[in-house]
Amino acid sequence: MNGELFLSGHGQTKFGEWWQKSLKDLLSEAMSAAIADAKISPLSIDAIVIGNMLGETLSGQAQLGAMTSAMLPHRPPALRVEAACASGSVAVHTACALLESKRAETVLVIGAEKMTDSDPAHVAAALMGAGDAELDAPSGLTFPGIFGLIAARYMHEYGLTREDLSLVSTRHHENAASNPFAQFRNAVKPEAVSESSLIADPLRLLDCSPITDGAAAMILSRTHRNPICLKASQIATDTLSLTERPSITSFASTRDAFARACEEAEITKEDIAHLELHDCFSIAAIINLEDMGFADPGTGIHLYRNRSADLSINLSGGLKGCGHPVGATGVKQMCDIAKQLKASKQRYGAAHNFGGAGATCCVHILEQTIS
Amino acid sequence: MITPPSYHRHQKSQLDRTQGGTIVSFTTVRHPPAGFPDAPIRIGLVALDSGAQVIGHILGEAPMIGDRVAPRMRMARVTPQGLRIYEVAYESLAQVSVKDHFVFEGYILALTGPSGVGKSTVNNILCKALSEYVSPVPILTTREAKKGDDGEYIYVSHEEFITLQDRGLLAAATQIPSNTEDRMYGYCKENITAIWKEGRIPVVVTEMHLLQGLSRTFGRRAILSCGLLPPGRSRRAMLSQLLHRLRARGRDTEESIADRVKNAGADLDFFTQRRELFDHLLVNDDLTSVVDALKGHVLRTQEERA
Repeated sequence: MNGELFLSGHGQTKFGEWWQKSLKDLLSEAMSAAIADAKISPLSIDAIVIGNMLGETLSGQAQLGAMTSAMLPHRPPALRVEAACASGSVAVHTACALLESKRAETVLVIGAEKMTDSDPAHVAAALMGAGDAELDAPSGLTFPGIFGLIAARYMHEYGLTREDLSLVSTRHHENAASNPFAQFRNAVKPEAVSESSLIADPLRLLDCSPITDGAAAMILSRTHRNPICLKASQIATDTLSLTERPSITSFASTRDAFARACEEAEITKEDIAHLELHDCFSIAAIINLEDMGFADPGTGIHLYRNRSADLSINLSGGLKGCGHPVGATGVKQMCDIAKQLKASKQRYGAAHNFGGAGATCCVHILEQTIS
Repeated sequence: MITPPSYHRHQKSQLDRTQGGTIVSFTTVRHPPAGFPDAPIRIGLVALDSGAQVIGHILGEAPMIGDRVAPRMRMARVTPQGLRIYEVAYESLAQVSVKDHFVFEGYILALTGPSGVGKSTVNNILCKALSEYVSPVPILTTREAKKGDDGEYIYVSHEEFITLQDRGLLAAATQIPSNTEDRMYGYCKENITAIWKEGRIPVVVTEMHLLQGLSRTFGRRAILSCGLLPPGRSRRAMLSQLLHRLRARGRDTEESIADRVKNAGADLDFFTQRRELFDHLLVNDDLTSVVDALKGHVLRTQEERA
């Protein structure tokens, strides 16, 4: 990181099914919350970056940069970025580039998604935009299907059982219960996960993160000081299609992004006290822990069976508990890490966010300066 | 989104996909995306012999990861614009007998078609008209005897049926989904070979699963496979014709008719999806011409053998 970047403030809407709020309403609500939290004048924002995936397809709305900029009196320069489910953290990464290059001093980053206006079959088709339109989509594959393929293979290779897999969603729901911004704050027993309806074998309804509306925003600044600062921001990519990968039970982009982020922040994985990882489907959470080196291949589930005292995983509830408004998730994960660091007085936390089946992966590391 | 130009480009790679391979993983998508029929789709990641991997539909009764697969070109769906999408699907070979050489014992004449299309009527007339060449094969069934059954069935209990199946004495067996009755159907190998010994051609009345079973047991080459279609220019017209015939023959209850018409839709799709399983498709709009056509096919095979 070139110079100090402070996370001066953050805010989010409650994630959920917001029939009474439009994409614009969500953006405006999250933006106001972040500005209020940072206690800065909106006029000191000199750029806006928006992360959003499905504005055109589901709300018929492109041009989100100009739309958001117009909500501020001085209409700062604004742009929108997209990388499927990683859109939010790619927006943060873009903001870092603006700040580090001294193009901007204070940047507002917003991730937002409005998904529940459309029927599920259309949302499923729209989300398939994150896969390969020529190699994957023509067969009728959906994202649950892609992760169904991954889960089936993982279970075949490592002998993971249905009961084990159910533990992942149970833990995430447990954590979401104490998060006022989460979509699902109810406890779910492992048996309930195992018995929920099949979506894409072996994945069941409660293995899948939901369709959600929501927005999250944060202020990143070189001048507005805050104990929380951004130490590393890394992106790595992989092929869009599963057919072009040597293995489908590990994501190369996660391995690359995480290794580079640790290097940039000059820490090792043992220094990380809080981790928010991308659990779009329960199986992804297990694979991510292995790819980041917190567990050996095939043993990621151990961290869900026996919780570690030194590392919290998805304390917010993750994508399963909080909901997954795709563009907002990356930003929201970092808001949660900031909250967790403040509450626990720990030093480092990491947010892991990927798009598609790990085609784009972003890892951000936050540090709390302890005085 | 598939459009004619994008489909055209896609077609160019079909040849590369038409290869055998191994299943890396597969899943059943229970909720397909918009633009696809609302029915579960079984999709797999297949490692082809060329080293490339592809995503495609997986066929077969009980595929497993690691199974060998063979490519099958078939119609996957029709888009709302009327574009017919043909895709290479991959059939698991694990359950299919992979014997290279079936001992050719003789031909079987198979009549396949949806319930009510007139298979039994055609069968009866044909067996009378060509009594010196063909004999009907009795159907083993677990369902109750009904008024209107014409001696074509052998009634067995569910347990007996399962025992025969387990002992490998059935040439083909299937369970037809039904809410109203237990309907398992099958053919005894013995009944078919007995007819061959007499130097005649066995005639079977089948449906899609039985036909596949027979071709697994005796080889596809041994089956003179004829599909019977109801008259009608559209699928809907065909189905309504079937409904009319089922009601007119008065053998089934209204509930059972609903069952049969539901299955008939799948039977009609089968003709297009698995075209390779049929030698001739005949439209049953006029009994005499259908029987004449069949007679022709039968006599030709007899001449071939002679």
